[in-house]
Amino acid sequence: MNEVVVSAKNLSVAYGNNSVLENINFEIRNREFIGIVGKSGTGKTTLLNTLANFINYKGDVNVQGNIGFCFQNHSLFYWMTVAENIGFGITHVNGKEKKGIVAEVLKKIDLEKYANYYPKELSGGQTQRVALGRAMAYNPQILMLDEPFSSLDIYTRDQMIDWVLKLISELNITVLMVTHYLDEALILADRVFVLKGKNISNVIPVTFPKPRTQAIRFTEEFQKCKQELSSLINHNNS
Amino acid sequence: MPLSKLNKLLYSILPVLGVILLWQLVVVFDIVNSALIPPPTKVFKAIIEWANSGDLFIDFYTSIWRGISGLLIGSAIGVLLGLLTGRNQKLNLILTPVLNVFKAFPPVAMLPIFITFFGIGDFSKVFSISFAAAFPLWVNTHLGSSSIPIEFIRSAKLLSQSRTTTFFKIIIPASMSSIIAGFRISIAISFIMLYVSELAGASHGLGYQISSSHLSYRMDKMFGALIILGLTASMIDLLFNRIIKYFFPWVQLNRVM
Repeated sequence: MNEVVVSAKNLSVAYGNNSVLENINFEIRNREFIGIVGKSGTGKTTLLNTLANFINYKGDVNVQGNIGFCFQNHSLFYWMTVAENIGFGITHVNGKEKKGIVAEVLKKIDLEKYANYYPKELSGGQTQRVALGRAMAYNPQILMLDEPFSSLDIYTRDQMIDWVLKLISELNITVLMVTHYLDEALILADRVFVLKGKNISNVIPVTFPKPRTQAIRFTEEFQKCKQELSSLINHNNS
Repeated sequence: MPLSKLNKLLYSILPVLGVILLWQLVVVFDIVNSALIPPPTKVFKAIIEWANSGDLFIDFYTSIWRGISGLLIGSAIGVLLGLLTGRNQKLNLILTPVLNVFKAFPPVAMLPIFITFFGIGDFSKVFSISFAAAFPLWVNTHLGSSSIPIEFIRSAKLLSQSRTTTFFKIIIPASMSSIIAGFRISIAISFIMLYVSELAGASHGLGYQISSSHLSYRMDKMFGALIILGLTASMIDLLFNRIIKYFFPWVQLNRVM
C-alpha cells in the first residue's frame, strides 16, 4: 500500500469568529486523486489553502513533498511570458537546464508555439494549461487544483479533462482537486470528499476501472454514482 | 478596427492644426485684441528670434534639468514610500497619517517655505518639484502594491521561497500599472511646479521667460515660452509612453484602448 503523503487530524479553520472547518480528519496516499466537492461556502478552497499553508489553522496537518497549486482564476503573472511563468519556480538548476525543462513542459501542455506570448494573448483553455504547466514545472509531489476549469466553456472543459487524464497517467503525483462539477470529480478521482456542515461528511470511493475516458459518463453506473453523490451534497443531514 | 499609423498621426495632428488655424482666424478677424493675444505667426517669429539669440537653448536646458531632476527624485521617493506603506502594515500605520497631512499642503503654497530654508538657488526649485511629484506616485504606488491579488503572493511563496525575488519579480511588476499612471500625473504636476518655482529668483528657464516676457509686455515671446513648456511636457509624456511600451509591453495588453 502506498504511503500517506497528506493527512489532517482535528483540523479546524476560522476566519475571525466565523468557523469554516471543524475537526477534519483524513489521510491521502501517494498517487491518489482526490476530488473535493460540496456546495459553495462549505470550505473547499479553505481546505486546499490550509493544506498549502496559506492560512492559519488549528490541529495537525502533514504534507510530505513539494506542492504545486493551480488557483481558481489561474493567477498567471501577466507581466511574464508563458515561458517565464513556467520557469519562475525552477530555481534549482542553471539557465540552460531551466530552458530545457520549460521546453519540455511547453511540449507537454502543447503550447510550444506560445512560449513568448503573454497570458492576456491566450484563450481560456490555453491559460489554464499554462497555469497547470507552471504548477507542475518543478516536479511537485502533490498537485492542488482549485476549480481549475470553472471559467471554461463546456467544450474546453471536456478537452481539459481529457488532457488531465492523459497527464496524470504519465505522472507519479498525488492530486487534490476542488470542483463544482460532479462529472469531473467522478471521471478523474479515486476518492471524492464531500464537504458539508464544516466537515467531510462522506468519502466516496470511485471504482471505475482505469485508464478512464470520458465515455464512462454515459454508463448507467456512472449516472447512478453521480445521482448518489448529488443527493449526498444536497440532502444528507449533518 | 485598429487605426493605421497614418490615421493615428492624422488624428493626433489635425486637432493641433485646427487650434492654430482657429487662433490665427480669431486674431485676423479682430475677434480678440492682437495686442493681448498675438497671432501664431508672430509667436513663431518670436521663438525664432529667441532661438537665434542662443537664449532659448539655455532656458530650455535649465528648465529641463530642473524639471527632470525634481521629477525623478520625487518619483523615486514616492514609489519607495508607496511600496513601504502599501506592503507593510506597521509602516502604513506610522507613515500614512503624516504623509496625508503633507499631501494636503498645496505645493505652490510651500514654495516660500522652501525658499526660506534653502534659498533661491536651484536646490529649492528642484526640491519643490520633487515635493509636488512625490505624492501622486506615493498614492498610486500604495494603491497598486496594496491591492495585488493574494494569489500572486501565494504562487510566489510556493514557487520561490525568496522574499527578494517576490519583491522584485512580483510586487513591483504587479504594481507597475499604478506606478505608470502616477508617474504621468507627476509629469504634469512637475511642469506646473517648474513654472511656479522659476517665477522667483531665477535668471533663466522657460518659467522665468514666461514671467519676464509678461512683465515686459512681450506677449508673443510669452506665448512662445508657454508653447515650448507645454510641448516639452507633452514630449516627455510621449517619450515615457514609448519607454513603457518597449520595456513593459504587457502594460499595453492590460489597457482597454
